[in-house]
Amino acid sequence: MAEREVTFRVFRYKQGDPAPHYDTFTLRVDDRTTVLEALQTIRRDLDPTLMLRHSCHHASCGTCGMRVNGREVLACVTRVADLGPKITVEPLQNAPLVTDLVVDMGPFYARFVQPGRPFVRASEALPQAEPPGWLIAEGRDPQSGLAGYERFENCIECGLCTSACPVMASDPAYFGPAALAAAWRVVEEPRGRDPQAALRWADDEHGCWRCHLAFECSEVCPSAVDPGRQIMRLRRRLLFGR
Amino acid sequence: MADYHVLIIGGGATGAALAHDLALRGLRVTLVERHEVTSGTTGRHHGLLHSGARYAVKDQESARECIEENRILRRIAPGSFELNDGLFVAITEEDLAYAEAFLEGCAACGIPTKVLTPEEALRREPLLNPEVKLAVQVPDGTMDAMRLPLRFLATAKHNGAVIKPWTEVLALEVRNGAVTGARVRDHTSGREYTIGADIVVNAAGPWSGKIAAMAGVEVPVVPSPGVMVAVWGRLCNMVVNRLHPAGDGDIIVPQRALSIIGTSSWVVEDPDDLQMPEEHIWRMMEEGSKLIPAVRRAGMRAAWAAARPLVGERGAQSGRELSRTFKCFDHADEGVEGFVTITGGKATTARAMAEAAGDVVVRKLGLEAPCRTREVVLLPHWAYYME
Amino acid sequence: MSERNAFPKRRWTAWFAPWRRRPGYWAFVLHRVTGLGLVLYLGLHLYVLRLLLRGPEAWDAFIRLAKSPPFLALDAVLFAGVLYHALNGVRVTLLALDIGVARQRQGFWWVLGLSVALAVAGLVAFILR
Repeated sequence: MAEREVTFRVFRYKQGDPAPHYDTFTLRVDDRTTVLEALQTIRRDLDPTLMLRHSCHHASCGTCGMRVNGREVLACVTRVADLGPKITVEPLQNAPLVTDLVVDMGPFYARFVQPGRPFVRASEALPQAEPPGWLIAEGRDPQSGLAGYERFENCIECGLCTSACPVMASDPAYFGPAALAAAWRVVEEPRGRDPQAALRWADDEHGCWRCHLAFECSEVCPSAVDPGRQIMRLRRRLLFGR
Repeated sequence: MADYHVLIIGGGATGAALAHDLALRGLRVTLVERHEVTSGTTGRHHGLLHSGARYAVKDQESARECIEENRILRRIAPGSFELNDGLFVAITEEDLAYAEAFLEGCAACGIPTKVLTPEEALRREPLLNPEVKLAVQVPDGTMDAMRLPLRFLATAKHNGAVIKPWTEVLALEVRNGAVTGARVRDHTSGREYTIGADIVVNAAGPWSGKIAAMAGVEVPVVPSPGVMVAVWGRLCNMVVNRLHPAGDGDIIVPQRALSIIGTSSWVVEDPDDLQMPEEHIWRMMEEGSKLIPAVRRAGMRAAWAAARPLVGERGAQSGRELSRTFKCFDHADEGVEGFVTITGGKATTARAMAEAAGDVVVRKLGLEAPCRTREVVLLPHWAYYME
Repeated sequence: MSERNAFPKRRWTAWFAPWRRRPGYWAFVLHRVTGLGLVLYLGLHLYVLRLLLRGPEAWDAFIRLAKSPPFLALDAVLFAGVLYHALNGVRVTLLALDIGVARQRQGFWWVLGLSVALAVAGLVAFILR
């Protein structure tokens, strides 16, 4: 396995600092090393005060979102070998900074929970599967719409879309691609929630109409949510009711 | 009087469940986690909501714990699981011969089973190895490894617990043979300060040994990492297990649009230096493709490792033969008052671990406060991020 | 966490961050830049019309300036800007109706290509005339 030396330029900030600065670290990496692993190694061996969010290490939790060479990615699935010899690492944008690479996701979730997004959603296209016996044994009625398999939403609440959105950068009141895509999911599959309420919520000057169609949200989404598309669907539904 | 009744060290599933447990009992609780909550072992597991069936033959104590907690978690955390059940799949004649002992073990542990013919199994999971000889359906499920513990933290926080991530314990405060708190550094600012507590609980998972050493005691926790591989594609909706005594790469768990194959086992000294052997990654792909051949065609999304905190004696070579149950150590038995370690266990049994540790804690504090976590429905995970 | 954080301060130029962005983003940036340019032009145009109030000599002086090569070059830029803004405007309108969203990147290249082609054609026609 080929090893090489890579230089990392990492954004640093501690509460009370007059301004952020960048620290440079040099590290030996191999073909497989991810940006997350590199940062963990830096934290372990070079600077234990470097703070970053991470949890699942496989693009399921969405916590390791950051900007690498200016682009929003999940650090756990970004290979150092795919980037150049100099790598700049910065926190997500459009979220308040806590420290170093850590941002406060409170405002993100504050926008997100309004349309009451469902967390579990019936899977598509599995006509041959009958409901597991346990659904019935636990008192869940297969007629209620839960028949078939359950599945978590694709959206992992990583905030990459919100960071990449140029409108989000200009307008703090914009609902943002993640929340709007969640609203569309309620419209498309209500699961006990009120799709009309979700549409009314999105029908706002800071809602789906605020988007300027840069589509960076869909470009950076690591989880095939395609928020840009969902915002266009909201518009179409609001315009034509169809 | 100390700032808090209890200081919990460690923001993984164990610490999270304990903070929730103690907050419900009315105690003043604070939890410190040196990095992001669940960023240690907890967040990295494949997300199995255990039915316990894997342990039904060899470790029935563990199996019973699992199925009981499985039922409780479904009740207190609705919406946090894909409740699609799981399959234990026999591929070879050897596997088939294991079926009888497996079914007996499950029955003895109260784990419901349903035997499926190969045709039925393939109907439920079309991508299964067509050579499947038999499948047993069990109440496995899929959880989001990070978001479930976050629900415990959210509920604890809203019941008054003070959760402090980015706060690293530098040293334990020990006075007259008793732990009275900890000196910590807040990594968001660099500020150091002391937190005083009547009881300090060490819930640091594979790092429990390091924390215990700060009080001059030892805990028999062995950091035992395993590799997991995520491949592109939701290749199954049910959890798919190999029907055999536990081995490497014998489980595939769906996680949204990915499939997670796990796991393996080795032993390390330092849980921050896991030294993941690349060979294990290929072993996962190999074993996984015996369950679902499409694994071989699927591209790899990620390969990672995390250290399980296995409770046992030092000197174990591979780590797999240790029991998976958890243990609660009251270090007063070793002459150190005010210090308790809760370690071992698995994600599915975190609440039970917290109940056991919580009982020890209130007993030490001389309080009457029963555990209430079996019934209280948890707040949604996003409540953790809101004030 | 409300007491935390002075960074990053929101800047009114924050929408402009073109490094490593994709076609859709460039479409947006060009649309905004041409839009701002057109507003500026409109302002200038209206201002210039005031010159009519000053009588024929002032107007003729301006027209001489308007026929000078640097000015005509600016006109070409303006024309290209109008073309791009109009064509991308059509693209954005369609996308906003959820039409062709999956091909929004290709749409941008068509718009850019057409804008350049028509601008060049217009420039050539003008020079030949």
